[in-house]
Amino acid sequence: MTRILSIAAALIIAFSANLAAQDDISPSRKQAIDSLALEKVRDLSKYISIVGNKDTPWSEANRVIERTLELFADGALMGVSSINREDVNYYGIREYLERLMALNYDKVTISWYNIQYISDLERQPDGRYVGVITIFQRFEGTTKEGLRYVDVTKKDVTVYVERKTTQISGRIIGFWDVLLGDIRVTETKPG
Amino acid sequence: MRKTFFFALLTIIFPAALHAQAFNSLLGDESVFIAQTKQVNQFFRRFNGEESTRGDRFYSGDKDFRSPDLRQRYLHVLFDYQNSSITDPLKDAFIRDVLNTESPVFLNFHGGQWFAEVTTRFLYQGKDEELTLFLKLEQENLGHKWVISNVYFRHFQLLFSMNTETGSHFLHPLSHELDFMNLVRVFKDKDYVELYTEKEYLPDYLTLFLYEFKKGNLKFRTVSRVKFHFFQVPGWYFELSEFNRPGGNSGWLISGLLKINEEQKNILLKYIYHE
Repeated sequence: MTRILSIAAALIIAFSANLAAQDDISPSRKQAIDSLALEKVRDLSKYISIVGNKDTPWSEANRVIERTLELFADGALMGVSSINREDVNYYGIREYLERLMALNYDKVTISWYNIQYISDLERQPDGRYVGVITIFQRFEGTTKEGLRYVDVTKKDVTVYVERKTTQISGRIIGFWDVLLGDIRVTETKPG
Repeated sequence: MRKTFFFALLTIIFPAALHAQAFNSLLGDESVFIAQTKQVNQFFRRFNGEESTRGDRFYSGDKDFRSPDLRQRYLHVLFDYQNSSITDPLKDAFIRDVLNTESPVFLNFHGGQWFAEVTTRFLYQGKDEELTLFLKLEQENLGHKWVISNVYFRHFQLLFSMNTETGSHFLHPLSHELDFMNLVRVFKDKDYVELYTEKEYLPDYLTLFLYEFKKGNLKFRTVSRVKFHFFQVPGWYFELSEFNRPGGNSGWLISGLLKINEEQKNILLKYIYHE
């Protein structure tokens, strides 16, 4: 369903665009792309919550991992640091999700703050645009013995925006496609 | 003043926070995350007055886009409050210059005069070592990219003597008549070899870094810290660092501020680059 909505949103952006090759991003176009990118980030948040949830059956979690990987550009990495260790540890997206699935807690609750920050889009030398969306996550894990671990992390998610074309009923339609890239995960001290 | 603005900021964002609470009442105080300068991009927007206190982006043509009043309030909260070397008079003088009604200063992402200092860790000769990369933005085609412009690595600097007094270490002016047979003396001692180079010679640590990396002697491990140096405000230098701590005075904030002239700028650059 989300996938259908994403395609529909992409095409709405496409139809609202000038059919001539339009590479500059106006503020109104930017807002439309932001919404599409944010939707992908929300999908990611939802998938992380499902994969992390101990009530999710193993087969379902694996299916969701595959869906999550479809959101990302090839080779995307998670760079993770903590309050006590500022060095960044690198994980592939699949590895990160599988580690999350295998965490040794009896109960895991992942919730997301209703806060996000969306950067400007900057053009890269290859013509694609890149932006960063910042979101905040709260993780709570409880062991069988009742020990509780809680952390709050800031996730800076890279977003690649690319102008693509597709053919619909013989007409070439341009649209903006969004893929997620590297994610920087920082443990925060919200106070 | 800064406290007043922080409270004003919280008052303005309070309805947004309330809305958020309705979704996630267990998550605690989200207003701190709203107040925090979450990205360098947001620092630019706040510095330039291109964002409402609710976090909405202002564009050219919007009523409050780059409004001096908004900037005045934002600029005060973009400093690290815990840094006592940034005194109120210094800060006020900086803000006065930035908001000058004749020629206000805005930060420009593509305007040059700012660069990143990235502290990394590499394995060098089997040991974990700190190495600093300096990066700047460079245009290519219609886009931009960060490129490495300089490197500081303690072991490279130790290799090169700062001694410029040649003493007896030179090739005499008639060496050519002897087919430079005295070069044997130049390469006898590693410590003095650079004294035989032209006076304009400066070691190129970036090339040395690439050479050692390509030879497999340097292996990347991780990034430890990132900060930025800004020279975009005429007559001023400021440093931008990220503060991961409780409260609204967190995220990307001005962590150093100096009033400098052109000569002092060159001295400061040498200091930053460890030259």
